[in-house]
Amino acid sequence: RAHSNPFSDHQLDYPTSPDDMNWSKLFPHYYDSTTGKMTKDVTIADIGCGFGGLLIDLSPAFPEDLILGMEIRVQVTNYVEDRIIALRTNHAKDYQYQNINVIRGNAMKFLPNFFQRAQLSKMFFCFPDPHFKQRKHKARIITNTLLSEYAYVLKDNGVIYTITDVEDLHNWMVKHLEEHPLFERYDKEWEDNDKCVQIMRNATEEGKKVERKKGDKFVACFRRLPNPAIV
Amino acid sequence: MSLIHPIQAVVSNRSGELIFAVLKNVIIAYRYDQTNGKYLEMGKWEDQFSRDEMIKIAVVKEQARQLAENEEKGIKKSKTNEGNTIEKKHDAKIPVPGPGAPPIYSQIRNLMISNDETMLLACADSDKSVLVFKIETLNNDNCLKLIKRQPFPKRPNAITITEDDKTVIIADKFGDVYSMLIESPVIENIDEEFEPILGHVSMLTGVLSTTNNGMKFVMTSDRDEHIKISHFPQSYIVDKWLFGHKEFVSSICIPSWNSNILVSAGGDHGIFLWDWIKGEKLDEFDFTDLVLPYINENHLAPDRFQNEENDLKEFAVSKLVSLPNNPYFAFFVEATKLLIILEVDQSTYKMKLLQKIVLPYYITFISTFSDDKTMGFNISLDNRESGDKDFVKFIALDTTSNTFSIKEEQSDEFNTSIVNSFSKEDSIVKVELDEVYPLYNIISLKKHGEHYS
Repeated sequence: RAHSNPFSDHQLDYPTSPDDMNWSKLFPHYYDSTTGKMTKDVTIADIGCGFGGLLIDLSPAFPEDLILGMEIRVQVTNYVEDRIIALRTNHAKDYQYQNINVIRGNAMKFLPNFFQRAQLSKMFFCFPDPHFKQRKHKARIITNTLLSEYAYVLKDNGVIYTITDVEDLHNWMVKHLEEHPLFERYDKEWEDNDKCVQIMRNATEEGKKVERKKGDKFVACFRRLPNPAIV
Repeated sequence: MSLIHPIQAVVSNRSGELIFAVLKNVIIAYRYDQTNGKYLEMGKWEDQFSRDEMIKIAVVKEQARQLAENEEKGIKKSKTNEGNTIEKKHDAKIPVPGPGAPPIYSQIRNLMISNDETMLLACADSDKSVLVFKIETLNNDNCLKLIKRQPFPKRPNAITITEDDKTVIIADKFGDVYSMLIESPVIENIDEEFEPILGHVSMLTGVLSTTNNGMKFVMTSDRDEHIKISHFPQSYIVDKWLFGHKEFVSSICIPSWNSNILVSAGGDHGIFLWDWIKGEKLDEFDFTDLVLPYINENHLAPDRFQNEENDLKEFAVSKLVSLPNNPYFAFFVEATKLLIILEVDQSTYKMKLLQKIVLPYYITFISTFSDDKTMGFNISLDNRESGDKDFVKFIALDTTSNTFSIKEEQSDEFNTSIVNSFSKEDSIVKVELDEVYPLYNIISLKKHGEHYS
C-alpha cells in the first residue's frame, strides 16, 4: 500500500508520555544497564522514513547522534527493521548502525508522546505524500498547526529539512514554513554546504527514483528560531 | 400526552436567576421570580436555518466555477445535430441525499454565558456556526437578540470565551482551533479567510482559556488522550502537553479558586487533577466502584467490539464542572442517574468523595451557579419516560449541613414553565426518535484500534 490515512485509529503503539518511552529496545548499544538509563537521546528524526535509505546514510555521517525513522505503513516499517537488523549483524564488530532505528507510528498525532521539548536538532521530511486534493490538505505533513508542534520538539537553531519532486507541494511547504513565526529559511549557499542536503538528495529510494527519471528535486531547509518574548 | 424533546443543555447566570435551556434546535430563557417562586419565560429562539438554501448557494457557486473553467479551456458545452453550440442555462439542482447519506441535524450545542453575563453563546449544527446572543434582560418579549452568526468550515465541538469577553475560541471536530472577535463583521468566505490559530490531528473535545502570571493560555483536549497548552495570542508557541490519559479526554475545567489547577476526565475511569503550570499530575480519583452499580445495558459495547460472553461494558465521563468559589467538582458518567461531587483538599490536592446524588433519570448535562448567597448545579435529565416531568433538577448547597440537595419545589416550578412554553404544534413536541439530539454520544469517541494496516 502506498498510502495510509493519518486520521484513522490505527493499531498503534506509542508511549503515554516521552518519560514512558523505552528507548533501550531500539538502541540497546546505548543503554547502560548499571544505571538503567540511556547514554544518548534521539536527536534526529526522519518523519515518514519510507524504506530507510536516509537513515542508513545518516548513520555513519552522524555517529554521535541517535537517529529515529517514523513510518506509518506496517509493511514498510517491518522491511526497514529487517534491513537495520541485517546491517547491525553484518557490522557487529565495529558496532555500526547501532545509532539508527525505526518505529511504526503516526507522527502527525503522536510526535509529542515520543520527544521532549527541544530534544531534536534535525527533522527530515523527505518526499512526503503530496495529497493533491484541496480538501485533503490537512493530511499534509507540513501545516501551520503541525509546525507549532514540530517547533516544540526542535531545539533553537534546529533544522527542518524538506525535499520533494512535486513542485506544488514544495511551494506549499515553503509557504507554510515561511509564514510560521518560529521558522526561517536557509539560503541556497547554506544548502550547498550542508552535508545533510547532499545525503537527502541522493540517499532516499524516492530520490534515486526521481534521479532515474531525471525529475526535479526541490529542497528547502529552515532554522528553528528561538521563541519570541511572550506578550 | 404530548412529549416534549428532553433538554440537552441548561446554563444559568451566577445567581441562578436567569436560566437558558436547549431543546433540540430551540433555546428558551426564563427568569426566576423570587417573590412568587415562579419561572417566567423571557425569550425563545429557534434555529430555522435552511440547509437547502446553503447547499443551493454552494452548488450554484460550483457550477459557475466549472463553467468558467470550461470557458478557459475552450471546451464546447453542447452541440445540436447541425453543429451549433447551445448555451445551457439551468437552475442549480439541489442534490437529494440518497440512502445511507448522513442525516442532517438541526441542533444547538455548547451553550455558555459570557463572564459579564451580557451574552449567550451557542453553536448551531445546521450551518456549523457560532451564535452570539445579547441578553436583553429588560426586554420581556424576547431577551435573546442574535447579534452574530458566524459559520465555520467544520462543526464547532467546543467553545470558550476569553476573560475580557471579546474573543470566542472555537475547537472543531476536525482538530482545528479558531479565534473570533465578537465585534468583527461576519466572514463570508470562511474557507479562504479563516486560518486556525492552532490544531491537533484529532477530534477536539474541549477548549479553555485562562490567564496566569500575566500570560494568557489556551488549553485543548482531544480524542487521542492529549491535553495541549498553548500561549495566546501567540498560539504557535506550545507551552506543554499534559500526559497521562490512556483514553480520550471529553471534559476539562479550571477552577476559579486556583487557576494553576486543571481537572480532566473522559474514557479513563478516573478524574485527573493537574498542576498545569508545572505539568504534573497531582492526583487521580478512581470512580469505578462508585459508578458500577449504575452501569446498565446501555453501556454494552457495540457488537463488533463485544466479547464472547456479551457482557463487555464501556462507559465514560460525559461532563465535569467545578464550582467557582469552593473546591468542589461534580461529574457524571454518560447514561447514568448518578451525580458525583468531589472535594479537593487545598493543601494536598487530593480528591475525595463529598457526596453522591441519584437523579430520577439519566443525566444529560450539568452546569453550575454560584454567588455569595447560593451555589449548586443545574442538571438536565433524559425525561422521555416521565410524561413531561423532570426536565431539570436544581441542586443547591445547604451551608449549615454542608450537603447538596435537590430543590424539588423550584425544579417542579421550572418544569411546569417548560410544559407551558410549548404547544402541541411546536416542532420539538412529539419529535421522532431519530430526530432526538444524540444524548449519549460520548462513548462513541472510544478508540478500538480497528484499522490494522
